[in-house]
Amino acid sequence: MPEKDVDLKLVAQNVGHSSRASCGSCHFNGGGGDAVKHADLSRQLLEPSRSCDIHMGGYDFSCTECHETRNHKIAGRSSSVPVAEGKVSCQQCHSEDPHYCGSVLDHHLNNHAKTLDCNVCHAPVFAKCKPTKTWWDWSKAGDKNRKPKKDKYGKPDYNKKKGEFKWEESAVPNYAWDSGYMKRVFIGDKVDINADIINLTEPVGSIHDPGSKITPFKMMKAIQAVDADHDYILVPHLWPRDKEDSTAYWKHFDWEKAFQDGMKAVGLDYSGSYRWKETWMYWRLDHEVMPANMALSCVQCHDSLKGDKTCNRCHQDNRNVNFKQIAHKGTDFSYMKSQGRDVAHLIEKTDYINFKALGYKGDPIIHGGRFKQLPMGYEKKE
Amino acid sequence: MIKRIIFLVTCLILTPVLCVAEVWKAPDQERAKERAKEVVPFVTEYKNDDQITRRISLMDTGISIQDVTDTYFLLDSPIIKKREDHYEPVRFSHKRHANLTNDCSKCHHYRPKDDTALETTRCSACHQDSFNPDHPERIGLKAAYHQQCMACHQEQAKGPVDCKGCHLQNVPDHKELVNLPDNADPFQVTAECLRCHDTQAEDMLTTAHWLWKGPSPYTTGHRKDIMHGKGTTALNNY
Repeated sequence: MPEKDVDLKLVAQNVGHSSRASCGSCHFNGGGGDAVKHADLSRQLLEPSRSCDIHMGGYDFSCTECHETRNHKIAGRSSSVPVAEGKVSCQQCHSEDPHYCGSVLDHHLNNHAKTLDCNVCHAPVFAKCKPTKTWWDWSKAGDKNRKPKKDKYGKPDYNKKKGEFKWEESAVPNYAWDSGYMKRVFIGDKVDINADIINLTEPVGSIHDPGSKITPFKMMKAIQAVDADHDYILVPHLWPRDKEDSTAYWKHFDWEKAFQDGMKAVGLDYSGSYRWKETWMYWRLDHEVMPANMALSCVQCHDSLKGDKTCNRCHQDNRNVNFKQIAHKGTDFSYMKSQGRDVAHLIEKTDYINFKALGYKGDPIIHGGRFKQLPMGYEKKE
Repeated sequence: MIKRIIFLVTCLILTPVLCVAEVWKAPDQERAKERAKEVVPFVTEYKNDDQITRRISLMDTGISIQDVTDTYFLLDSPIIKKREDHYEPVRFSHKRHANLTNDCSKCHHYRPKDDTALETTRCSACHQDSFNPDHPERIGLKAAYHQQCMACHQEQAKGPVDCKGCHLQNVPDHKELVNLPDNADPFQVTAECLRCHDTQAEDMLTTAHWLWKGPSPYTTGHRKDIMHGKGTTALNNY
């Protein structure tokens, strides 16, 4: 029900299109607060700077201009929840060949667009407008003696109800192959409780699949409870239902009661024995796109190009091309640092997306691309 | 003392100005809005080249995508709004379209007869008010936009050809439409909305935002399911 002092007649008389504010009143606050859950969605997007998000900050896009609606169904694939009523992609506006500034680089960048999600280069850090929660240890909750400390961003590291946290700002994403499909663990699904980590969601993709692209993700890592006998994730009852509630964790701080009640509510048996396990969720990063001139440059990933002066690794060296300008000028982490962002460690970084972790032998210029028989250039002389 | 009073009065006058200056604006969008407001002098005479001649002459002058300095426009004009105002402006990516067509003459189909004028002019230089008795051959700006955009989108089988594919409809003023007592309660308000919007209400009842569950076509192993969601099976760790 709305707040009592809201003049509902006035509201009804002023109906209008949805806006970042109307969608954001829920979606910016996922996970229990501003920017907690979605790294790339926060109240910062109400009035974002141009470099925070070019679409919303430069061109004042509202959510539904990309997340098109039809009969109140709203397009968009969430990575954190399974429901989808249509999909949204950069390509629906920018096409499969999105680089057209007229530079000699266009051809190369459009080739890259077959293997990389746009935001690999165009949003090289996440939560750059506001810190987001990346670690949540529920097992530490309930300690009435622990005083929350503030981290370097001024965010608390502890909450008695919720446990221990870590926050990140302007953080480097985790890169993974993604076909646009997710694998998910649902309530009641069996999990391997002896595995080091249980992925609640993870992208489905492979270096060998032409339909998969390297995609940036925020990792939400946590410690949460699993049923030690039934091998499924436990759902605790957190919010007190009313004043008489005798089981809610946020009232009684008793996990046993909270699990018994929570599992009853979802219709599953609780064995009475639980273990704390580390779980991960992959959250695709689709917002916070930076202006084009702030995208990653060639050398920020391709270490092999760092010493090069011209394009002569592959092309005849007789053109009037400013190699340094096109291959080196990219995301200016020094500038971002000067604007107060926590990116000092990214200045001069190369192999930004970690080729080996993605299944390459190393820099594809030297070792070959995923479908290329021949590498682009010679092994660099020492 | 007088100086002091003048100073204080100036501050008082300036305060609202300064406040206005601090209102957030999206810079690229703001520039496009300003440009859309401009009405440029009407080009009365144009050079009547056929399109092939025009295309080749443009190509020969060496005009290319690199000459596109204004990459983004809002298609909107006081010329159109003067007669009717039902839709919001259209976002138009000039450079994207230049790249897609790779042929400036597709839109810049004639040039002003005046040799000193720019080779390419904006649509509204030649197409202004409709039914101008002095230029019966000239269609108005609204018709020019619609014929140009929709014909090409149809021909290329790319891009929207329906109204809402390009622009949002203005929301009708609901001040007079809404019939509610003061201090209306939520049920009264909902009933009043439903008086006109019963179809939308039916639609709403089948959505994920209402049901907290729905189809999961992008979840492997559950692509044909329609019951997953936060209200049913979804798990998280936060």
